[in-house]
Amino acid sequence: MSGFQYGVSLYSYTDDIGTVMGLDEALEHVADTGATGIEILSESHIPAYPRPDTAWIDHWFARLERLKLVPTNMACWVDTSITLNHNRTEEEGAAQLAQDLRLAHLLGFRFIRPKFGVIDEELTPHPIWRGAVERVLDLADELDITIIPEIHAPTPIRHPVTEAYVDFIQKTGTRHFGLLIDTGIFQDRPLPYWPGETPEIRKAALSFLDGIKVPVEHLAEVIDYVPFIQAKFHHIDEKLHDHHIPWDRIVPMLKKLNYNGYLSSEYEGVRDPWVAIEQVRRQHCLIRRLERETELSHA
Amino acid sequence: MPERSIIQSSGFANTEAGFTLRLRQPNYRGLRLSLIEGIDITVDGQTYPAEANSILLRGEVYSHAAMAEATETWWNVGETIAVQVAKPDGLSAGVHEVGCTLRLRHPYFPPQFQPAFVRETRHITIIQP
Repeated sequence: MSGFQYGVSLYSYTDDIGTVMGLDEALEHVADTGATGIEILSESHIPAYPRPDTAWIDHWFARLERLKLVPTNMACWVDTSITLNHNRTEEEGAAQLAQDLRLAHLLGFRFIRPKFGVIDEELTPHPIWRGAVERVLDLADELDITIIPEIHAPTPIRHPVTEAYVDFIQKTGTRHFGLLIDTGIFQDRPLPYWPGETPEIRKAALSFLDGIKVPVEHLAEVIDYVPFIQAKFHHIDEKLHDHHIPWDRIVPMLKKLNYNGYLSSEYEGVRDPWVAIEQVRRQHCLIRRLERETELSHA
Repeated sequence: MPERSIIQSSGFANTEAGFTLRLRQPNYRGLRLSLIEGIDITVDGQTYPAEANSILLRGEVYSHAAMAEATETWWNVGETIAVQVAKPDGLSAGVHEVGCTLRLRHPYFPPQFQPAFVRETRHITIIQP
């Protein structure tokens, strides 16, 4: 039985990167978990985005080689309301995607996750998404990079947003478009209030932070289109108990569905210095343990 | 490296035209300047509205209006800017209560969160020359 591939998104170290660590230190922490996959955010972690110089690119590959890390996903954005007076057209959206596909290819990535502007509170992407993606599918084929918009709370699996992406895959027959599942959709206990958030704000606008509780069984309906998973989490205590994400149900389901892709850690919790480093390590310990237990129980 | 806070202690100083205040980039991704709808500054209860403030980024000055059109210039993660505020005679030496409010447009946020506000207040110090 082949297993999960383990990775870390540098998003996990938000606020640490740039104040108490640089990119080099962040990569060292990722490698020390035993993970192989490195996920970055284009505009966050490439200092001269969208045009890093050759010295930076050389340094990038030298670090990856030394640490035995493999680039996985490059998160990027299609900012539709780019100025107050202009919304990007399909052509402009395609130009953005083409630029990010080429940059991802240059840096060795296999996936890009474009985050399109949205038009409502259910995160329905701006309608340009379809025409923009259609225009770059040939380029994605040529570069062998898969474009994977994310399914992220409050959007569940059974939802028109997800269905529209699946419809796109089925109609185009493309092998270079898929779904990125963010495990925050399985969150089944409330998050603590973020700084500045009140119970009124939570109730009125942010109720999804209480958890949208997508049943893990729904994964079976889309798993054929899921080449990459962001392992979103918020807090794991010293007994390796995750306070919000039900890994004890997610891991067995992914094993049952023969998921062999990456689980790329995305820590999104307390942003005090250095907390993320330990939190990511706990998640890797927890998921590796659950994976092993699941394998043994089916051996 | 900058302090963890958005408002930085160092870089707070009087200038010929007023005063300058250093801010760390407050978001998890690099910010296109065109997605920043304004940076309001308050000092000891007095507000200096965004429309009159400029920023200095990597040696270039951007007025409020120039920022709105700067779609291909990024304020990077971990990078600081100097907000330039006009105030004849500047600020007195000593400790001031300084606040900033950044109005950020995140296109991938639902419409009701546009713009999103990032606020911070700190006590920081002007040192006499």
